[in-house]
Amino acid sequence: MLNEQALASANQSSIQTLQRFNGFRAKRRTYLLALLPFIVLIITYELAPLMTMVIRSFLTPKTGEFTFANYAAIFQKKLYRDAVFNSLSLSLFSAGIGIVIAFFGAKAIYESTLKRRNTFMSILNMTSNFAGVPLAFSYIILLGNAGVLIHLGRHFGISFLENYNLYSFSGLVLVYVYFQIPLGTMLMVPAFQGLKQEWREAVSLLGGGSVRYWFKVGLPVLLPSLLGTFSVLFSNAVAAYATAYALLGGNFSLLPIRISEQFVGDVLQRKEFGSALAVMLMVLMVGVTILSNWLLKRAGHQRSTYGK
Amino acid sequence: MANRGKQKLNLTIMVLLSAYLILPLGLTFLYSLFQEWTSMLPTGFTLRYYVDLFQDPGFYLPILRTLIISTVPVLLCTAITILAMYVIVVHHPKWQKYMQIFCTIPYSLQGVILAISILALYSGLPLPFSDRIAMLVCTYCILILPYIYRGIQNSLNAINARQLIEAAMLLGYKPLAAYLRVVVPNLLSGITVSFLLSVSLLFGDFVVVNIIGGSYYPTAQMYLYKMMFRSGQQTSAMIVILFALTLLISAGVLVLQQRNKKSVAHKQEVADGFHTI
Repeated sequence: MLNEQALASANQSSIQTLQRFNGFRAKRRTYLLALLPFIVLIITYELAPLMTMVIRSFLTPKTGEFTFANYAAIFQKKLYRDAVFNSLSLSLFSAGIGIVIAFFGAKAIYESTLKRRNTFMSILNMTSNFAGVPLAFSYIILLGNAGVLIHLGRHFGISFLENYNLYSFSGLVLVYVYFQIPLGTMLMVPAFQGLKQEWREAVSLLGGGSVRYWFKVGLPVLLPSLLGTFSVLFSNAVAAYATAYALLGGNFSLLPIRISEQFVGDVLQRKEFGSALAVMLMVLMVGVTILSNWLLKRAGHQRSTYGK
Repeated sequence: MANRGKQKLNLTIMVLLSAYLILPLGLTFLYSLFQEWTSMLPTGFTLRYYVDLFQDPGFYLPILRTLIISTVPVLLCTAITILAMYVIVVHHPKWQKYMQIFCTIPYSLQGVILAISILALYSGLPLPFSDRIAMLVCTYCILILPYIYRGIQNSLNAINARQLIEAAMLLGYKPLAAYLRVVVPNLLSGITVSFLLSVSLLFGDFVVVNIIGGSYYPTAQMYLYKMMFRSGQQTSAMIVILFALTLLISAGVLVLQQRNKKSVAHKQEVADGFHTI
């Protein structure tokens, strides 16, 4: 009885509150002021710069007429064609190697005891902070011209180490893989938690071994996470700037470095061409994400038709 | 038997990966402690490089600049987003999806594109816009927006904000006061994690500060970059100090996360207790 009364009065009062709520809303719209700083920030520093950049990439310098010439120029000059090609292949290589290592790293974490898991996760967490200029420098003292491993190679006569050239494509891949591993592994760990022990048991009851389990159950279940993580790693590499800049300066043609050169140099600024390069970079990033979503849908479609 | 073999394999993988990841870091640390490393082993143990750094008056200013520029935008961005969320939570829950879109765009822009698009737009304009430091602060605000927004949204999901506000209004609060004095304090513990993550992200930034700040606002990362061409040992010492600072920030994140987990578990227990009654 008492409860019912309390409930009724509570209902009554919450209706009143709601009425006051709505009355307040109808009377004045001053509350919208709270949204103002956010809107100003988003428009001035997110949408306006982005839109002007896209528009600018289609304009002729000085005259301001519409053109595709900026995009054509990317593919006409070897320097910029190389930048696109190098960025694409560096990102594909480093993300590819990264995702394979991340898979085994996350698998090891998933199958290990809690204590080992925590230790390894702390190491990943810690080293994921090690990127950019500090990372490039520590690879220079490790494998640069007078690097510690180069000395070791000379001392023991390991010609592979002795003659290693860090300032090359393979050197960049090596350094990029370093920052892909912690990120990739930490992103893959939650996905492994979705694998159920029963599935493995079911496969072994049906006479399947570990290999069959991974190819028929494990990998297909993990596929969305693998593709998603791959595209994160790809974007991460394709837009990385600090590491390559500190390692090679302008001596290796990569998109982010060529882009910033068009805007930052005091001598010759080519904002229109730079904008086209930047849009190109965005297309690469979005392209890989769309591609991975498409692959996923196709795989999902196949699986669902198997079921039927 | 097979299981033990598998454990061994997993342990090997983890040990190898850990060694691979720690090698450059550990080496940089060793490198900063010795005068020379031109043969197999380093020679001449010294703490000179650290002493030199701490005695150099030019060392503190960049660090101070970094600390300022990695906290002010985070504070600003958090305040702006919390205010905006008031309108979403109390008045227009349906605008939530637009908010989410605008807050996740920067995530896919990454530092380079965001920095150059802002620089290209504002560097030619008159003063309040072309001021590099203001530009840097606002660029950072946008850069960390996805993380700050996620933090706030996740904490909002964990509490029933509308109910809390209705209750506070029954007690005579106006909606905004109810939001600021009842909902926001409940969000703080969840926001702190994303707050510190954003600080550590900005602390290590080189891309945006190199493009926009340039010589106008030389931070610790810029100082480090210039030092790279002078002395290897000195640079290593600087890297070790900066990395230690970053670890301090992320240790804070870890401690807070653990505490949050505990408090969530505690709340869960309390809620379960209610159900059983």
